[in-house]
Amino acid sequence: MADFWKRFSRNRQAVLGLVILCVVIFVAAIANFIFPTDPFLYSKFPLSAPGENGFLLGSDSIGRDVASGIAHGAKTSLLIGLIATLAAVFIGVIFGAFAGYYGGIVDDILMRITEVFQTIPSFVFAILLVAIMKPSIESVVIAITVVSWPAVARLVRGEFLGLKNREFVQACHTLGMSDLRIMLAEILPNCLSPIIVIGSLMVATAILIESGLAFLGLGDPNVMSWGFIISDGRSMLRVAWWICTFPGIAILITVLAINLVGEGLNDALNPRLRERN
Amino acid sequence: MKLTKVMKGVLAAASIALVGSFAQAQQAGGSLVFLVQPEPPTMAGYVSTSGPIGLLGPKIYDGLVDYDNDGKIVPMLAESVDVSPDGKTITFNLRKGVTWHDGEPFTSEDVQFTIMDVLKKVHPRGPNSFKEVTSIDTPDAHTAVFNLGNPAPYMLRALSSYESPMVPKHHLEGQDIKSAKLANNPVGTGPFKFVEWKKGQYMRLDKNENYWREGRPYLDRIVGRFVPDASTRAAAMEKGEVLYAAYNAVSNVEAVRLNKEKDNISVTTDGYSMINPMALLEFNTKEGPFTDASVRRAISTAIDRQYMIDTIFFGYGKPATSALSSNFSATGLHAVMPNYPANGDVAAANKILDDAGYARDGNGVRMKAMFDLIPYGEDWKRGGQYIQQVLGEIGIQVELRYEDVPTWLKRVYHNYDFEMNLNYFYQLSDPVLGVHRHYGTNMIRKGTHFVNSSRYSNPELDALLSAGMTTPDATKRAAIYLDIQNILANDMPVVNLFELEFLVVYNTKLKGAYGSAMGAYASFGDAYLD
Repeated sequence: MADFWKRFSRNRQAVLGLVILCVVIFVAAIANFIFPTDPFLYSKFPLSAPGENGFLLGSDSIGRDVASGIAHGAKTSLLIGLIATLAAVFIGVIFGAFAGYYGGIVDDILMRITEVFQTIPSFVFAILLVAIMKPSIESVVIAITVVSWPAVARLVRGEFLGLKNREFVQACHTLGMSDLRIMLAEILPNCLSPIIVIGSLMVATAILIESGLAFLGLGDPNVMSWGFIISDGRSMLRVAWWICTFPGIAILITVLAINLVGEGLNDALNPRLRERN
Repeated sequence: MKLTKVMKGVLAAASIALVGSFAQAQQAGGSLVFLVQPEPPTMAGYVSTSGPIGLLGPKIYDGLVDYDNDGKIVPMLAESVDVSPDGKTITFNLRKGVTWHDGEPFTSEDVQFTIMDVLKKVHPRGPNSFKEVTSIDTPDAHTAVFNLGNPAPYMLRALSSYESPMVPKHHLEGQDIKSAKLANNPVGTGPFKFVEWKKGQYMRLDKNENYWREGRPYLDRIVGRFVPDASTRAAAMEKGEVLYAAYNAVSNVEAVRLNKEKDNISVTTDGYSMINPMALLEFNTKEGPFTDASVRRAISTAIDRQYMIDTIFFGYGKPATSALSSNFSATGLHAVMPNYPANGDVAAANKILDDAGYARDGNGVRMKAMFDLIPYGEDWKRGGQYIQQVLGEIGIQVELRYEDVPTWLKRVYHNYDFEMNLNYFYQLSDPVLGVHRHYGTNMIRKGTHFVNSSRYSNPELDALLSAGMTTPDATKRAAIYLDIQNILANDMPVVNLFELEFLVVYNTKLKGAYGSAMGAYASFGDAYLD
């Protein structure tokens, strides 16, 4: 662990990313304490500029606090990113593991299915899925999962293909271990590092997709998110720049931070890069 | 850096070229490009009252008459109208020498067919407007005599080219009216001929050289542009790419800004008096949490109508004070009712619910409900979010649902699968035309849009509505509508929120487009570019 941290911290940018990410998580965690009221709560002060009427980052067209929206939206964005990524990794690992381990006809079938999903542009596909289901937080998570898992499946398949003929796996076969046990207990732990790296990057993509969907009006109208604030304030950009700008900055730095952390994880976990510096 | 400069130069040149082509026009000639939002589903204004059809249809189709800004009748296809002393025979003397865009002559047969076989059968409001018309005689090609069962003074307010377009019999006879080809290839008698419909982009109409009005229209061409994005629409208006935008195609916030910042862009609320739009909440009175009238009264009491107008519609609008719009004060029909506080009274609303026995649970929630929002843009979404907050304060926890237009219409008007619905209705120029359809038992028409989706049915009210239709005497009629408003202020199957004041945003270069009470739903025969 100490070794891992040493390798991770060698990448300054990754550490910076981690710090920013921790701040975002902290804000999300204490959102309910610093802004105890509902972020949707209207007020009698619509379109206040930042600093006016006690709104740190201004208020929107029906007087909702932009700062409160960003803090509560952080929770939504991070949760969506995390849940969608976990689900996508879960599905991707199952598909990839079976395809890579068994090969042949199983591989053909699973990979053809994966390719069907991969050939459709992911954001357009996500829009389509949310439009078919009603826009809600669940459908957004499902849509992000559906467009994200094929990448994981292909990665895991590649790893399994490379590992399944190694000596330690053959040894397991001789010992009479079941296929499932070999896959789960022997091969999977050996390809965890690339999965963690791709997973961390997927969280960033998921946040972007969620914001994009909300921006197009396909977010859950009952849940405060960054994309929602931007979508709501977009038509007022000329009158009230602050509504779109601050959540936009929040998305920018969060996605950047997660990407930096992902990069750092890649450096720290990838054995081939260990001696790079 | 260089590249962006070049790009800017090209863009500037392009926009100058566009503006230039308008500027050359004197009285006659030139093209009017205006915003149509959203794109119309079809051009069958005789089947659907969908707003965007009204923006383009009346340029192609004429009505029997038009109305000026004071509401006075202006002749169109009918040169004159004679009403018999008993009010039961109305004779329309039709203009001679009028031809359809395909060259066929327009005759009284077309009028008979339009009213009896089209509007009375498939139009959403036609069955009501022409309810009393039992038959139409055509003694000659230029006379149409309407025979009525009872006097129907309101009918003369429903003859504009938007409400009752005259359609060609030879294109519809013997066909299923709802699926006839005419819907996408309109052939009318109006000042402009249909030329081209590029789906998702624009519709082009060219000058009708054989129009019956000498020297009209002035314009050579009208182009209705469909621009789905609100900011792009405002930018097009600002740059002068489009010259006219009605029905919130440019949102109020941008309209106010453009009016202030640009010398050549103005804003008016004229042109909607015959439309009379009312924002409201429809309730499912048959199933779900809103079957009890006291809950609906509490909701009406809690909502701060003035706040919604001020913040969401930037001050354009008037709080509703009864089931009827205050615009009906002119005819003496409107009265101010209780349960419609302009500023909202949360405490009083809570008391109504307490008295009705709705207790709060540990989280302060009395009941939960689903709240559908009219999918016509973000103003309505914001309105829904505001109402959600207020209802939370009185212990009604609602979840918002915002779907696409067809799904929403199907949910509310086909399947009745809703509990509370934010919407707006046109009350039009007479309650018979625009208001009766919310409340009459005969207006519970499954599958027909914008009628009585609450499925409210009250025999006492039905009797009063019938009396309101057939009573010509103004004083007696006012008394009838006072009773109607009292019943509705108590039962509240629909909670009226505020009278919308739509804006027209226009470039001052466009003149002559404002003479009709129908506003954007008028023919634009007199419009010209300065």
